[in-house]
Amino acid sequence: MLIYREKDNLIHKLHPFTILAFIGVVLMLTLVLSHPVYLLGLFVAVGIVIIAADNYKEWKVYLKYCSALIVLIIIFNAIFSRVGETVLYKSPRLPLLGEIRITLEALAFGAGMGVRLLIIISVFCLYTYAIHPDKVLKLFNKGGSRSVLIIILATRLFPLLMKDFYRITEVQRCRGVKLDTGTRWKRIRNLLPVISVLLQSCLERSLQLAESMYARGYGSGDRSYYNRELWRPRDYLILVGMSMCLVIGVFSTLIGWSNYNYYPRLSGITGREIVITSIMTLTLMIPAILNWGWNKWPLLRSRI
Amino acid sequence: MAVIKIKDLIYNYTDTRKPSLDKINLEIPEGQFVLVVGGSGSGKSSLLRAIAGLIPDFYGGSYGGAVYLDNINLRQLDRRNIVNRVGMVFQDPESQLVMSSVEQEIVFGMENLGLPNHLMKRRLMEVTSALGLSNHLNIFIPELSGGQKQKVALASVLAMQPEILILDEPTSQLDPVASEEILSIVKRLNEENGITVILVEQRLERCFHLADRILVMDKGQIVLDQNAPETVANWALKNNSPFVPPLAKLFASVQYPEIPTTVKQGREILKPYYQLCKSSAGFLSAPNKKVEIMEINKDQPMVEIKNLWFTYANGKEVLKNISIQLKPGDFTIIMGGNGAGKTTLIKNINGLLKPGRGVVQFQGKDTKKLSVEELAPDVAYLAQDPNDYLFLPTVREELAFTLTNLNLADNGISQETLARLKMSSFEEVNPRDLSTGERQRVALASVLVTRPKLLLLDEPTRGLDYQLKQELGNLLVQLQAEGTTIMVITHDVEFAAEYATNIIFMAEGSIIACGHKNDMLSNSTFYSPQINKLFNNIVDGVVTFDQGKEALNKLIKLNENIAISV
Repeated sequence: MLIYREKDNLIHKLHPFTILAFIGVVLMLTLVLSHPVYLLGLFVAVGIVIIAADNYKEWKVYLKYCSALIVLIIIFNAIFSRVGETVLYKSPRLPLLGEIRITLEALAFGAGMGVRLLIIISVFCLYTYAIHPDKVLKLFNKGGSRSVLIIILATRLFPLLMKDFYRITEVQRCRGVKLDTGTRWKRIRNLLPVISVLLQSCLERSLQLAESMYARGYGSGDRSYYNRELWRPRDYLILVGMSMCLVIGVFSTLIGWSNYNYYPRLSGITGREIVITSIMTLTLMIPAILNWGWNKWPLLRSRI
Repeated sequence: MAVIKIKDLIYNYTDTRKPSLDKINLEIPEGQFVLVVGGSGSGKSSLLRAIAGLIPDFYGGSYGGAVYLDNINLRQLDRRNIVNRVGMVFQDPESQLVMSSVEQEIVFGMENLGLPNHLMKRRLMEVTSALGLSNHLNIFIPELSGGQKQKVALASVLAMQPEILILDEPTSQLDPVASEEILSIVKRLNEENGITVILVEQRLERCFHLADRILVMDKGQIVLDQNAPETVANWALKNNSPFVPPLAKLFASVQYPEIPTTVKQGREILKPYYQLCKSSAGFLSAPNKKVEIMEINKDQPMVEIKNLWFTYANGKEVLKNISIQLKPGDFTIIMGGNGAGKTTLIKNINGLLKPGRGVVQFQGKDTKKLSVEELAPDVAYLAQDPNDYLFLPTVREELAFTLTNLNLADNGISQETLARLKMSSFEEVNPRDLSTGERQRVALASVLVTRPKLLLLDEPTRGLDYQLKQELGNLLVQLQAEGTTIMVITHDVEFAAEYATNIIFMAEGSIIACGHKNDMLSNSTFYSPQINKLFNNIVDGVVTFDQGKEALNKLIKLNENIAISV
């Protein structure tokens, strides 16, 4: 089912390449940077862009489930990690687990991993809600590949299949097929008629679809590629900002500025990390900043 | 513009012995609007597919004779060349759209033809403006209505700028308003752009008058090829063919010299009779064919609905304070626009949905306390698509499946039901190998084997031709006579007028009006059959074909008497 909804803001009106590049850069930096301050900066930037894209409501759901997962990661890491010197709690000897030492370092490491996970999940949220799947596929489908067509077909047919499934279930229940009562095995067995009808109808439909595609010349020779996506100054501005961020991030990684040691004791945070993170966050926030200006000043709207 | 010439065309599908096209010879000049009519399996669709080159290229099978486009044999043209010139729109909008957005769907065909980007943009703009789709370009296709989907399918074909447009029952899955829109677009394309149109349609009252030429097909042959509708109407009457719209059939049945195809033409013919019956009270002696219902206890209602309200889980309130009573032997039809709550009402009766507020009682029992399965032996439900029922290898097993599920003994009921539906010879056939009308009869048989007391049907006439509709109508009247309560949802005003007893109009979840069909279907702008519109303000209460025939005969006689006395 397509959950993307185009909204009236700058982020939803970007060239698909720009938004994909944003997602790619954030993902890459999340994986290469390990300093928690850098990661926090990335998270703030992504969060602000998601809010600017008016997808906060959807993001909240992702955050809720992700937070539960992060708490679990922190607890497990704190319980099972035996390194770290700042002991916060020491339990008496327990069967199987032995003595549990909860250290500040282990907690911090779990939290750091949690932030990384948060960024990845948030980026996926942005990908799901801020970019039309067809546009992404089209971007990679300049040659008209068949596998891309299959993915598009699946997106289109999935809702239809679900609708068919519910309808057939109702019809078969009216013929006495018991899907709500009996043991679980019986209920699964009783689904067979529904699945069987669904499969046969799908087969017939696929033949009709193939005929319609054939009648519209699919497979009659080389295909061309329809494209109406336009490049605007906003795309260039964002791409320049992202390139800067990428260069800074890779440079910091290469010379070791973005490394961070959790164990045996937490390393300190220097002003250098704060400055670099601020610059990176600001460059990644350009879409949100532009969106703010785009909403506030009609003149800027017409210029970018 | 292309001229189509067909010479000695013979075609057999791979798995059939009977020829689907049997020695077809035909010539269609450019710019003509050709209507092809005929029963299910008469070869109409095969003929269209042969002209579009899908037969034999897509279907295989054995093929003889030739189809020429501008004197070039279709077999010598490559696929791209044919697609460039012949566009085809199919029956089911769901099964012909490939992409997920309207814009991508419309350009799909053009991309296949390898057209450059600038040309695709231009044609997209033109075709979406012409079809009123400009504001829908970014919409996800599953969110469109059936009519809009069919418009997108048409737009996708038109964007390829074909010289010949072929449409295979394009409105059979649509409601009347959407159908009207599609047909008027097609007519406009024919008149304003000179595109040759070949159309297969079942509801002839909508398109008989649009065509320049009518072809009647039967058993793979063209049995009639005529330009004048009156000749077709007279021929149909003489040969007992159902493929003629009700008005034409009415005038032909009284041997009237002129045959109208539209209500406007019919009223023009009746103009001289206006003064004859200004007071039409008592004009019709037998206003209604009465169905003799067998002796049953009519005191206890079969279904009683009191103050029913229903809201779906998403918060949409679909039924608002519905109260109705259905007695044994009632034949009620529910009409109303899309989203009026008709299907939801039926599902509240058979237990698929449970009332939010209010009560639904079946034979005095609250349906809230009964499961669908408990109600199923007495309440039969035939959904829109018969395919949703069929999955077993034979018709016989389909019927036995229902009986086994409901723990009912056969006692010869399967044979009896099949015989009644004229399906006995198909007992060992795979239902999926049957035609649409036959599949519907198998689905109906599979719910009728329980000898239900209440029969609920959702849009049963969709996609059926006149003959099949007539057979279905007669069967329902027979069941009604045996005391079965029947409730049908339909958009088909002509069907409602001919067979129902009572009509319920629904809008936005409420019952707007209900009563006898003579009152409900008279003098309405939209929900009146053609025959009623013809006699509007001339003779009151004419709704069915028999009433129309009687009224027309009387008018003619009155006129003759006056002429003699003068």
